[in-house]
Amino acid sequence: MSARHSVVVRLAGESGEGVISSGDLLTQAAARGGYSTQTFRTFPAEIKGGPCMYQFRLSDEPIWSHGKDVDLLVCFNQEAWDLNWDSLGAEGSILYDVTEVTIPDEYLDRARPVRMEELAKEIGGSLRAKNMVAVGAVTGVISFDTTPIEELVLRRYAHKEGVADANIAALHAGADEAADLKGRYPLVPPVEVEDDRMLISGNQAIAVGAVAAGVNYFAGYPITPASDILEWLSVRLPQTGGLTIQCEDEIASLASVIGASYAGAKAMTATSGPGLSLMGELIGYAGTAEIPVVIVDAQRGGPSTGLPTKTEQSDLNQALYGSHGEAPRVVIAPVSVEDCFYATVEAFNYAEQYQVPVLLLTDQGLATRLEVIHRPDTDAVELVQRKTSAGIAREDYKRYEYTPDSISPMGIPGEPNGMYVATGIEHNEYGHPGYTPEIHTGMQDKRLGKLEPIRGTSRVATHGEDQPEDVAFIGFGSTFGPVREAVDRLVEQGLSVGAFYPRVLGPFPADRLEAFVARAARVIVPEVNYTGQLARLIRAETGIELESVAKCDGLPFTAEAIFDLVAQEVTA
Amino acid sequence: MSTRKPNDYKSELKPIWCPGCGDFGVLASLYRSMADMDLDPSQTVIVSGIGCSSRLPHFASTYGVHTLHGRPLPVAMGVKLANPDLTVIAVGGDGDGFAIGLGHFPHAARRNVDITYLVMDNEIYGLTKGQASPTSLFEHKAPSTPFGNPEDPLNPLALAIAAGASFVARAASFNTKALTELITQAVEHKGFSYIDAMSPCTTFNNTQDSWKEMVTDVAPEHDVTDRGQAFDLALRGGFALGILYRQERTTQTQRYRAILDKAKPSDVDTMLDGFNARKGAAIGKPS
Repeated sequence: MSARHSVVVRLAGESGEGVISSGDLLTQAAARGGYSTQTFRTFPAEIKGGPCMYQFRLSDEPIWSHGKDVDLLVCFNQEAWDLNWDSLGAEGSILYDVTEVTIPDEYLDRARPVRMEELAKEIGGSLRAKNMVAVGAVTGVISFDTTPIEELVLRRYAHKEGVADANIAALHAGADEAADLKGRYPLVPPVEVEDDRMLISGNQAIAVGAVAAGVNYFAGYPITPASDILEWLSVRLPQTGGLTIQCEDEIASLASVIGASYAGAKAMTATSGPGLSLMGELIGYAGTAEIPVVIVDAQRGGPSTGLPTKTEQSDLNQALYGSHGEAPRVVIAPVSVEDCFYATVEAFNYAEQYQVPVLLLTDQGLATRLEVIHRPDTDAVELVQRKTSAGIAREDYKRYEYTPDSISPMGIPGEPNGMYVATGIEHNEYGHPGYTPEIHTGMQDKRLGKLEPIRGTSRVATHGEDQPEDVAFIGFGSTFGPVREAVDRLVEQGLSVGAFYPRVLGPFPADRLEAFVARAARVIVPEVNYTGQLARLIRAETGIELESVAKCDGLPFTAEAIFDLVAQEVTA
Repeated sequence: MSTRKPNDYKSELKPIWCPGCGDFGVLASLYRSMADMDLDPSQTVIVSGIGCSSRLPHFASTYGVHTLHGRPLPVAMGVKLANPDLTVIAVGGDGDGFAIGLGHFPHAARRNVDITYLVMDNEIYGLTKGQASPTSLFEHKAPSTPFGNPEDPLNPLALAIAAGASFVARAASFNTKALTELITQAVEHKGFSYIDAMSPCTTFNNTQDSWKEMVTDVAPEHDVTDRGQAFDLALRGGFALGILYRQERTTQTQRYRAILDKAKPSDVDTMLDGFNARKGAAIGKPS
């Protein structure tokens, strides 16, 4: 078979069988081999038991989505087949555990049994290496060099004698299974491997971005899918002189972050939708007391406990409007793993410059997926410091002073002339409680008005044609990947297509969006939620006609699904 | 010898409390204690929640954070962790601390957060006009308990001791000399110091006269280092004023300092190296 530019593999089985770790292992090995990778995983909300799957797509070229039609489906058990057979492409092949799975007759010609359990028992005396037999079988079918996998296994089990050997033996044994499928999906080897490649997840990119931004204080409460950030920073932040603490709940997390920032720290918390709900009142507080904080929301399926381990983009409204009254905030939605790094730096800069809470919206798909990115250039990171009371005489100091840009000097404890009381009660320029019509109107105007410059200056993400004539896609966050792939394919077909991603959703860059779509026959707004929250926002902020494509199945869009929104019309 | 006077800690704002409110006595004691300790106002942060007593930071010329209802403790913890050189005093009422904010209290105690928490307990919600609070007595009649409070009150002192507070004391707003000294000892204590200051609400729950009759002093033979004795005293009820419990224990600040001291210094570029995916790159710890 001729070599391909892309292969999509899906591993499926029971949580606890090593499906996720196998996917991570293959992805890491592929990244080291010079391939681009995209991954998507789903797992149950329980620790052991319940179906999980890990899909990865490899390519010698840059790729932006995890793929739709699976080339190679690996079933660890019967349920894996039952739940995943319909993801298989028309030419796709199947590897399945011979003792566990029965494949329907019509698929047997492209299905091969693998002695996952048998070989694992034979080699390691238990089922623990079952997943390594599967990994080995995958490497055989996609003609994948096992050396980087062996290196990773040796490293991972460096302290456990015999375990690495058993795993590597299982890997080799697996590679000889399904012998007649060997080399069925050979990948084009990467031509040129750039030197600055990194394999990293969205959560990790945010955590390391926060370090680049100079974070000194992080507080969080465990919640899927944001806990990685808490865990990663628990190790790393002390190495920079900063501090990470796990609090008793999300309220305490954000409250302590507010306290730390009040005392001069750059402070952040990370959570998911349920935690953000609890933080709502404090977001209003930070906005009113004008205290810089960064809040990460790795969205998951809602409402309520919802789908803790599945993806959704349904917290946009909560991010923009959550908290009573009309509370100022900035909302940023990074569009890729790489952007997670830069958006985190931007989040801190907006927070410090405007003395405002900044919400960073990702989602389960983006937060947990492993992607090969260019190493961020830390020398190019520019940091903004907050305006403080330093140098102002005591008698002249007004914490909430009306200024031309509505940004007032913040006193930092220790600074002798900056003493004030931060408060969420309406207050005058000195921070003294005051409820007159003039004070409330003036202060709301100050707090909300100070953010207006962002509307025209925020960094947006675009792809394809500027001011396209046929189709303009508008979205936020993680849908950018599949949309940009679809745009490329539609442009190849001769259509005039472009995508506009505001990134900063509040304040909303309405004028630039209107200019972008001015000539487009169709404006399509894909998003992963039920009510079309972004579409409603655009309708509220602009007068444009648009088509809302909202779905809430817990899964990210595929490039193919986006492509089909337009292609069906082209072919009709 | 102190160079600052109690009046130096007064802000230009006059308290908005009702005449006779116990909180005046607490505030006066706080001014005097801060003067006795000669606290640098710019190195002092008073953190409060919401309620009559939580207005207190506005009446002091120090740094202050008037937070949300129930949230002074985690905010105060953040302030202290971010800058351990600061003196941090959290204040509030019984509704703020023991109803909406109770979830934070045992955690601040067990962590031994190096702050002082001064609660002005009037057994009532004053700001919202007299409803029952978690420390209101059984059968207390209030607008929200017209048939008498059907609930038993919480015992904050016993709770503080059980949760691991390393300094626990009871005071009364009308006994300012003792309260001043207790505040000083609490602030100078290393770790989480809790003062339950009985502070009558003369408008909605005027207990002043009865409390004045009930108060006694903690017996001189009471061993403040004996947690069992302290617990007994807290559970026995009554109004024994003074220190119930005091313990030397490493503070949260010291424990985090130890983590920082042990950490191997690193920087963002070294951290990024851990994600290298170059061909033949040194294999980092699988993440």
